[in-house]
Amino acid sequence: MNLIAQTLADGLVLGGIYALAAVGFSLIFGVLHVINLSHGIIVLMGAYLALILSETLHIDPLLTMPLVMAILAGVGYVYQRFLIQYAVDSTPFASILLTFGVALMMNNIMIWLFSPDMRNITPSYAFASFRLGPIAFDAVRVSCLAASLVLLSCLAALLKYTSLGRVIRATAQQTMAARLCGVNVRHVYAMTFAVSAAFAGAAGIVIGIILPFSPADEAIWTLNAFVVVVLGGVGSPAGALIGGLLLGIVSTLTAQYIGPSFPNVTMFLLLVLLLLVRPQGLLGNAFAPSR
Amino acid sequence: MNAKLGPAAFLAIILACAVVLAILPFVMPPFYVRVGQLMLYSAGLAIAWAILGGFAGYASFGHAAFIGVGAFAAGLVEDRFPGLPTPLLLPLGLLAGGAACAVLSAVVAYPILRLRGTFFAIAMLGVCKVCAELNNNVDFFQGSLGLNFPAIAPPDWDPAIFYYQLYLVAGVAVLLIAWQIRRSRFGAGLLSIREDEDTARMLGVPTERYKRQAFVISAVLTGLLGVIYAHSLGYITTDSVYRDDTNLSLIVYSLLGGMGTLFGPVIGAFMLVFVTQVILARLLDFHLFATGLLLVVLVLTAPGGIIGLVRGFRQRRRAKNVAPAE
Repeated sequence: MNLIAQTLADGLVLGGIYALAAVGFSLIFGVLHVINLSHGIIVLMGAYLALILSETLHIDPLLTMPLVMAILAGVGYVYQRFLIQYAVDSTPFASILLTFGVALMMNNIMIWLFSPDMRNITPSYAFASFRLGPIAFDAVRVSCLAASLVLLSCLAALLKYTSLGRVIRATAQQTMAARLCGVNVRHVYAMTFAVSAAFAGAAGIVIGIILPFSPADEAIWTLNAFVVVVLGGVGSPAGALIGGLLLGIVSTLTAQYIGPSFPNVTMFLLLVLLLLVRPQGLLGNAFAPSR
Repeated sequence: MNAKLGPAAFLAIILACAVVLAILPFVMPPFYVRVGQLMLYSAGLAIAWAILGGFAGYASFGHAAFIGVGAFAAGLVEDRFPGLPTPLLLPLGLLAGGAACAVLSAVVAYPILRLRGTFFAIAMLGVCKVCAELNNNVDFFQGSLGLNFPAIAPPDWDPAIFYYQLYLVAGVAVLLIAWQIRRSRFGAGLLSIREDEDTARMLGVPTERYKRQAFVISAVLTGLLGVIYAHSLGYITTDSVYRDDTNLSLIVYSLLGGMGTLFGPVIGAFMLVFVTQVILARLLDFHLFATGLLLVVLVLTAPGGIIGLVRGFRQRRRAKNVAPAE
């Protein structure tokens, strides 16, 4: 009983982080209809930036978050405006291949800059933990989960209440109609990418604190984001949260009860099954192109 | 350009090229024989992929699944018959590998071909990952332990040249199959699926059946090439056949040469293998970066591939020739 509760708790914490890492991917997918295979790279860029900043400035890694998010928002804006936009105008497969090419290049550059070794961000409270009844929680993991929930809520509020959010939603629903109403669609696309990159970077910091990371991890984070989005539904923070929590619970349960090498199998089986049974995701607005 | 050639002339040209290629390894240095093997193997895979991905427009991102399943099925069956004479081993392996891929693809085809575009591509990646992980973790398949393959090259035949010629025969066979499909009613149906599946279906093309058939043909041909590849390696583990870079390369070959054309995948495979194996061979640190850069440049400058570039150039020249006459 304790084991199940502990496993579920671990899964929820992990799932909250998966959700944060996937929300940017989901936003780009929903608004631009681009599958951004360089998403994992942006997540890792957040992690490495936080590592460098917290070591040089001697501050808590979570405090570097605003700076990291600002830097990556700028990078995201430029990346979309001057590179991906050309592929968006072309065939649907072009953007996938383009972002994959960028991911390969950046992966190689990261190996040159940071070496292929595993790195870790260790804040001062790295080994603190507390108990709630019989279940143990790491302080680090809980603070990271809290950070990701706060960020997801912020993004949901941004999309719902601000004028930028309104324009983004309008573009996602009816690009042509938005353009007719005077929305500068390219600018909105780039802003969406900027927001998405900022949140991916924030996720990178959280991931860097909890898990060791290396340049080779980018593919894992891209795939996780894809699975989360397919599970939860495209384009909404709530969908990403549901998908992320589900994925977290499923992977910890599989690792605990079936075997440590099987989470990938169940993850992809779940992905394929859900694509077939409910292609719009558990909460999602239906997206036509899957069928 | 090949539309103007009659089928007999086309066949003659292909066979003549094949004969020239078959003689080449006797005069080439051994390193280039090895590169040639890889080129022919990749070209064969690229054409097999293009029967589904190029003709029907269902770009798969998980065809390495069939290489792996074919190779492991062949290896496991050959292990059960240790006493068999050597010349019979390869046909037995091909039979087992082909059958395994046919069954797997026929089963997977029903659900997965309901998806389109990117969703199909990523679901195929999922299929490949599931196959690889099961192969690796279920003891019966010996994926993490590895499988040994018997040497099948005849004793008086240099193994490098033997496999080169085996790949050549396989590649030409796959090319001819793709060519016949392209010429047939079935091929026209596949092209119509690529252009507009719903309209094709409305006009009475049996799209579901055609897609499934193309999927199975593509999977079986890929699996057969995987069986030969496994023999040429001699020893395989899960990681050496279910490779992510194969999944990617198969798309890039078609993209580089020209998506949906017959010779595009061949040109793309030859060029990419030459560039990565010969030109970049000494720059291992630079490898990922160069591949990524190539992809980016390709997407931005030549979305129709090399054949697309040539066609565009010809059309512009023809337009220029016509213009002064007006």
